[in-house]
Amino acid sequence: MNLARSFIFTRVAIFLFFVINLFSIYLLLRGHNHPGGGFIGGLGSGMSLVLLSLAVGVEQMQKVLRVDPVRLATLGLLVATLSSALPMLWGDPFLTQYNIKIGGVGLGTPLIFDIGVYLVVIGITVRLIVILARPVEGLCSLTPIERTRYASEIEKPIDQPIEQKIETNWGGQG
Amino acid sequence: MTAVLLAAILLPMLSVPLLVWAGARWGSRAGRVALVVPLTSLALIGWLLSGAEAMTERVVTIPWIPSLGIELSFIVDGLSLFFGLVVSAMGVLVTLYASSYLDDHYRDHGRFYAYLMLFMASMLGCVFSENLLLLFVFWEMTGISSFLLIGFLHDKQDSRDGARMALFTTGGAGLAMLAGVVLLGEVTGTYSLVALRDGAMTQSMAEHGASWDGILTVAFVLMMIGALAKSAQFPFHYWLPNAMAAPTPVSAYLHSATMVKLGVFFIARIFPIAAMLEAWTPLLVSIGFLTMLLGAIFALLSHDLKGVLAYSTVSQLGFLVGFYGMSNTDGASLDLLHVASHVFYKGCLFMVVGIVDHAAGSRDLRKLGGLSRRLPALTIITLIAAASMAGLPGTMGFISKEYMLKAKFDHWHSDAWLNWLPLTLVIIASLVKVLFSIRLVRSTFFGPLPSEIDEHFHKPSGWMLISPAILAGCCLTFGLWPDLISPALRTLSVEGLHLETSIHLKIWHGWTREFWTSLGIMGLGAFAWLLLGAGRLNRAGIPSWLRFDQAFNAFMNAIPAIAKKITSLTRADRPMDYLPIILGTIFVSVGSLIVVHGARLLELTGLRGDWRVSELLDPLRSFVLLLVAIAVLMVTTLRRWTTQLVALGTVGFLLTFYFVLFRAPDLAMTQILVEAATLILVLMLLSRFPRAAETGERESRPAATRRIMNIVVAVIAGLTVTAFTFVVATSKHAEPAGDFYLKQSVPAAKGTNAVNTILVDFRGFDTLMEVTVLLIATLGALGLLMRYRRTEAEAKAGPMGPPGMGVIHETDAERERWTDR
Repeated sequence: MNLARSFIFTRVAIFLFFVINLFSIYLLLRGHNHPGGGFIGGLGSGMSLVLLSLAVGVEQMQKVLRVDPVRLATLGLLVATLSSALPMLWGDPFLTQYNIKIGGVGLGTPLIFDIGVYLVVIGITVRLIVILARPVEGLCSLTPIERTRYASEIEKPIDQPIEQKIETNWGGQG
Repeated sequence: MTAVLLAAILLPMLSVPLLVWAGARWGSRAGRVALVVPLTSLALIGWLLSGAEAMTERVVTIPWIPSLGIELSFIVDGLSLFFGLVVSAMGVLVTLYASSYLDDHYRDHGRFYAYLMLFMASMLGCVFSENLLLLFVFWEMTGISSFLLIGFLHDKQDSRDGARMALFTTGGAGLAMLAGVVLLGEVTGTYSLVALRDGAMTQSMAEHGASWDGILTVAFVLMMIGALAKSAQFPFHYWLPNAMAAPTPVSAYLHSATMVKLGVFFIARIFPIAAMLEAWTPLLVSIGFLTMLLGAIFALLSHDLKGVLAYSTVSQLGFLVGFYGMSNTDGASLDLLHVASHVFYKGCLFMVVGIVDHAAGSRDLRKLGGLSRRLPALTIITLIAAASMAGLPGTMGFISKEYMLKAKFDHWHSDAWLNWLPLTLVIIASLVKVLFSIRLVRSTFFGPLPSEIDEHFHKPSGWMLISPAILAGCCLTFGLWPDLISPALRTLSVEGLHLETSIHLKIWHGWTREFWTSLGIMGLGAFAWLLLGAGRLNRAGIPSWLRFDQAFNAFMNAIPAIAKKITSLTRADRPMDYLPIILGTIFVSVGSLIVVHGARLLELTGLRGDWRVSELLDPLRSFVLLLVAIAVLMVTTLRRWTTQLVALGTVGFLLTFYFVLFRAPDLAMTQILVEAATLILVLMLLSRFPRAAETGERESRPAATRRIMNIVVAVIAGLTVTAFTFVVATSKHAEPAGDFYLKQSVPAAKGTNAVNTILVDFRGFDTLMEVTVLLIATLGALGLLMRYRRTEAEAKAGPMGPPGMGVIHETDAERERWTDR
């Protein structure tokens, strides 16, 4: 019994993907003064990608995302660390934050730090979901490029690669 | 000056990502690019040195964590400049050598040079540090980068074992050093080396009297454990020969010229501070000279060329440690000469070994021979360097040995054993050194050329000869005209560490005691060689009870074996079996808390003023509570994993209602998202279990006793949690921490969302560390999850199916296994 994914679900999920991401960025930006922030925003954006992977498949989602989520998370950590370390250049202690107000809108360095957190959270959420979801769809845990990136030759994933990809069988029982 | 010094240290560090990129792009040619980095550092350090006749001490301080007394504080004086020059100059030579050594047979060139530069940066940071804690940070960085370098050829078991051994030995001992540093800092109130030297140490000793001597001695011994392990002193000597699994340029750089000298450097650094302690001389003299002799004997008994050199390095380092130990407290003299002499000949010999290995395909002294006919230039280089190692006249090794014997004859210690012990050990060790120097040259370059070596032979690139030739040239030049080096030694001498300021080295002193001793050593060495012969040495070996590395490896392998045994003793097949243990622990720990606060529990009938029955019976809250209760009941009555999980998720979602009610929208949103993410993660995870596991769980109805047991556990757990909640909710804090943040959120952090200001501002450091830990944990989880192995049946069954549906096991055997329980 080979069932394709529900058409309605796929379409709605793709639509929601954009909406959720928009909302997550909104949450990120308003975080300092209103409910929201990097962690929540990142989690929301990560969940939107999970939704997308349920709708169109993990492999397609990875194509949409383009970057390796771990790289995303590393970039986030770099942004957060650098934004914290930057004040040291002119003699202020580590993690000094600056805020200004332009026409009633508060702007400040906490946002940069929050963007770092945002990226880390997206990265790790997606990475963990992807590594669990890929075998479920009959794929090898890592893409060939990732395999060269994380694993040295002695530590090849034990998961035997399945030669040709079998049509995903979402109906269960076969 | 600040900028120049910081640039010299930071440039190699910043070049790391660039070099990785260069390696990916240009492969083996990345080495030529990498050469720019150490050259720049060398030039910058040279600039710092230039212009000064007598070195004045300069300290640069940048605040880092002022509240803890930790500063980015660097010192520029003779000692740091000398080691800085050695590190950067050897960096240039080794990079040059490596760029031809690591040809296209190797992979990941970019990574290699990146590690090398990271190492160089940490070394430079270490030698220029003025703050002990900063020094420790760089110290550990050298350990980590050397781990990466030793394990560079990570598909070889040797490399992995060697890297692990080096990391555990030096890293573990480094912790002892940290303890010593902190102890010293706490006792004296400062981590600054300059402040310690200029009186903080003597002052605290004077203030607190003799009883503090003991504490300072403990601190000193702890620090020495770290330093001696880094310098591969007995009983930590075993890691160095095993670190030889690294590519040869690494051995030449780390394990002869720089990293292993760190321990010696550290001893020199704290010499003005700690040399007055009573433990100083006995500890360093006994360990140092014992290691010197042991190392020399092991070098003679080794057959691997690199092993010979590694043990001879251990031996020479032992001498340097002992040398500082037996110097009187006013200061040592000519220590830098001995270090420089060793750097020249040992760095050179390591590079020679690399070329021999490359050309002949073997490093085994028993198999090599006759290479002088094929590699005449290399033979000359080796002869010079080996002569320097043996201490023959005309080489720098001779000068070094003359002055070291002179120092020993001149400075008599009041304890008799501290005189005859070093002298005897040094003379015996020097004799053995002559022996293995002869053996090294004789067995590699002379005698018949074995046929298999002849067949394998291919000519090495001429580029590789440059670096060893330069080093051998230094051995010879400074050996013949030693006065050339005197101005440098005069400039670099440090107050408090060095004794004399008017140094004039001479090759000929007349018929002195040390000259006769030296002659005797050479004569006896040559005689012993004739007596022993190459054949007898070839059959010898290091006795197994002295092979500490084997014991270490056995120990390391025993850890997982013991863990496995414990696991197999305590593990249960069903996760359910763990539940009583976990809940029981919680019950005992929380229950004891409740017993202590039991009195307050009894007052609960009165309750606090804000507890009102009408509020408890609020219709909306009660309704949500009812929904939660229904969901919880569903979890217990439903029989499928998936539906149970969804019901559990519902409980989590419903709880957000309370967060909204108590005006915590941030928490509510987080709760919803975390709940969703967890639900999907667990569903995915369950789908990787065999489908039959779920069936099996369903069909094996629990026995009556088990059911009763479950009920008891559940009731107890529920009661404990309820009681705990009451206790926590009713206890009064003097001043809730939250009030401070709520009040300060707008004025101090300029944000109206207190949750967010706490996260990014007040407790920003926590957040930064948390995300770091998250990333590390994810990488760890990746390592576990990507190694998931599917059984053959699973692989045949194809994809696992949608989340929560489980894997279907088609084979009869599998089905029987799961259903017949």
